[in-house]
Amino acid sequence: MHEFQAWLWSTLGSIHIVRPFMTSVWGWPICESLHFVGLSMLIGCVGMFDLRLLGMAKRVPFAAMHRLIPWGISGYIINVITGSMFLITTPDQYIYNPSFHLKILFMLIAGINVGVFYLSAFANVKQLGSGAQAPFFARVIGGASLFLWMGVIVFGRMLTFYRPNPCNGEPEGFLSICLK
Amino acid sequence: MVAMGPFFVWLETTALSVWVREATVVYAFPGILSLHTIGMGFVAGMSAAINLRILGVASFVPLMELRRFFPVLWAGFWLNAASGVVLLIGYPTKALTNPMFYLKLVFIGLALVCLKAIRKSVFSDEDLDFTPVPRRGRFWAGASLACWTGAIFAGRLLAYTYSKLTTI
Repeated sequence: MHEFQAWLWSTLGSIHIVRPFMTSVWGWPICESLHFVGLSMLIGCVGMFDLRLLGMAKRVPFAAMHRLIPWGISGYIINVITGSMFLITTPDQYIYNPSFHLKILFMLIAGINVGVFYLSAFANVKQLGSGAQAPFFARVIGGASLFLWMGVIVFGRMLTFYRPNPCNGEPEGFLSICLK
Repeated sequence: MVAMGPFFVWLETTALSVWVREATVVYAFPGILSLHTIGMGFVAGMSAAINLRILGVASFVPLMELRRFFPVLWAGFWLNAASGVVLLIGYPTKALTNPMFYLKLVFIGLALVCLKAIRKSVFSDEDLDFTPVPRRGRFWAGASLACWTGAIFAGRLLAYTYSKLTTI
């Protein structure tokens, strides 16, 4: 694992294309702002579909509601791009950050959850019209989706506090670990 | 601003303010910030989804049924009003001496004006379930999207634009 982390660090650290922008005065703050806009689009559009799966707004047919999903995916893409820019600029702050590990884990499980939905329940769910209730399995997937994306938000927000630091003297924060 | 000094000192020495800044527990400052971000996702995100529908996206969604999501939107709003006040009690100087904070409040205020206008001009008309929303309603939906985007940018930039962290 340590070897993989060291390899990842040196590989990502050798990508210099975004560094001048990200280390400029407005580069990082603008990407952070876009990251939060993308987060809202994802939670708004995908979350609304999840809530429909859970039984809210039953008069909306699933196929109609599903037209919002591409907008949620747009938010996700914005976040993958801006997130990668953070990662490439300061790889050590993420690779050795326990909160980042959990964020990636939750994203992976959320991704599997999406895959399971489209491979299993979706064919049935998209036929369900106005007033229909989603089958139990699909409701579980919808609930899991909401829970997992909220977890991704929490661990994303916690990144700052778990940032490893050089610890030349005192550790910077009560949660951060020393980077040796 | 000079007159605010004693007020900041008083607020920053209250037990709650000290706890928000200094408690070494994950559910203090980091936890409150996380709640503030989840609330943002729901209030700005649900608004965005409703606004997109008003603007013509997913036009087979019966528009009036989206009223069911307003309580979710308001839950996000009140979660953030509450967590925002706690964060403000923790760092009053940091926020209140930063013009960006007032810009954020203006954007949120305008977003609420848009929401009220949307309820009045769009959601009062049951005939708009499937027919395209008139220009007036679409204007407010576009304005709402712009205001929430502005509020998110201003809020995020707070971390980079403050000039003074605390007075004490």
